[in-house]
Amino acid sequence: MKKKIKDLKQKINQYDFIIIGAGGTALAAAMYAARLGLKTLVLGSTYGTELPIGGVITTTHIVENYPGFIRLSGVELAKKLEEHAKSYKEVTIKNEKVSEIKKNGNCFLVSTENKRNYVGKTILFATGTKWRKLPDSVKGSREFENKGVSYCALCDGPLFKGKVVAVIGGSDSAAKDALLLSEYTKKVYIIYRGEQIHPEPINMERIKKNKKIEIINNTNVIEIKGKNSVESVVLDKPYKGKKELKVQGVFVAIGHIPISDLAKNLGVKLNEKGEIEINHATSETNIPGVYAAGDVTDKPFKQLITGVADGCTAAYSAYQYITKNKILTC
Amino acid sequence: MAINLYSTPTCPWCAKTREFFKKNKIKYKDIDVSSNKKALQEMFKKSGQMGVPVIDVNGKIIVGYNETELKKLLKK
Repeated sequence: MKKKIKDLKQKINQYDFIIIGAGGTALAAAMYAARLGLKTLVLGSTYGTELPIGGVITTTHIVENYPGFIRLSGVELAKKLEEHAKSYKEVTIKNEKVSEIKKNGNCFLVSTENKRNYVGKTILFATGTKWRKLPDSVKGSREFENKGVSYCALCDGPLFKGKVVAVIGGSDSAAKDALLLSEYTKKVYIIYRGEQIHPEPINMERIKKNKKIEIINNTNVIEIKGKNSVESVVLDKPYKGKKELKVQGVFVAIGHIPISDLAKNLGVKLNEKGEIEINHATSETNIPGVYAAGDVTDKPFKQLITGVADGCTAAYSAYQYITKNKILTC
Repeated sequence: MAINLYSTPTCPWCAKTREFFKKNKIKYKDIDVSSNKKALQEMFKKSGQMGVPVIDVNGKIIVGYNETELKKLLKK
């Protein structure tokens, strides 16, 4: 009797496709896997970042580069992706964080922080990235975190109404943060260490037209100063004759770090940046039955639209792997 | 139990906190600090934070969305 119950429990917790992470890439992969008839489990409020289901797109104010929607908020898009995945009975989404993944016969044993175990015939890492923090060498960067130093313009931007803020970074994300912040603040400085900020041309044009935004290229912030909260930043070279710039907020957008520790522990091959190396045509990693998609991979163009495509490719590869190898049970 | 959630309408972590309260049927007061300067000052005074969400559970402050901490405080 006891054995029967144990077998039943094991069967319930057995899936064809277990997705680690619950961002847009993961949700799209789940939707496609369900269409292929795979019993699919999505685990995690994107592991390591504490983001809501939908992942990093939920921190994007406006999305204009996802086909089918001319303009919608990141939160709205995430909701649609979640609803789409959930509309299939084959998909289960659990708000659990994965702590370990081990090879288990011809399958994989996935353990979560709340001491639950799941068995998967295949695994997809869609763990995404987390924000790169300012280095400790920037004095005051830790001390003033959430006291004027923010990593989420969408969250905290409205708190800086009528103030002067700085955005550190030169990417499209930095440009979008600056554009969003200009809706609330009196002035936005973009401070970038490189020669020239490099957003998408459409956002570069918007920046150029925006009278509240001023770009300071070839410059580093070396210190953040203040009493109870941020009052100024110190630059490594003078700007308009001054090394100290009065700002009340510092928004950091200096890139992302791939969340690939779990994959690494399983023996998945990473590149020097810590990104998961995948076959760009199939989303396969070096371990049979293990796939990766989205921002955590070594693909250079990281957008939701590309992550979603790779997620669906991974689902198809997993389906082929299971059928070709005739993995009926674990 | 008095619970205040200091939030902004655009913050995803605030949305997640609301979802947590709803799921656990917990009553709370949602205070939008983006449109309420006095509340923003109150949040800063209580927590020293200029980032949302800030959650005040009977005077105990939680910064950011932290489910473990929230569960711990709500059990007391």
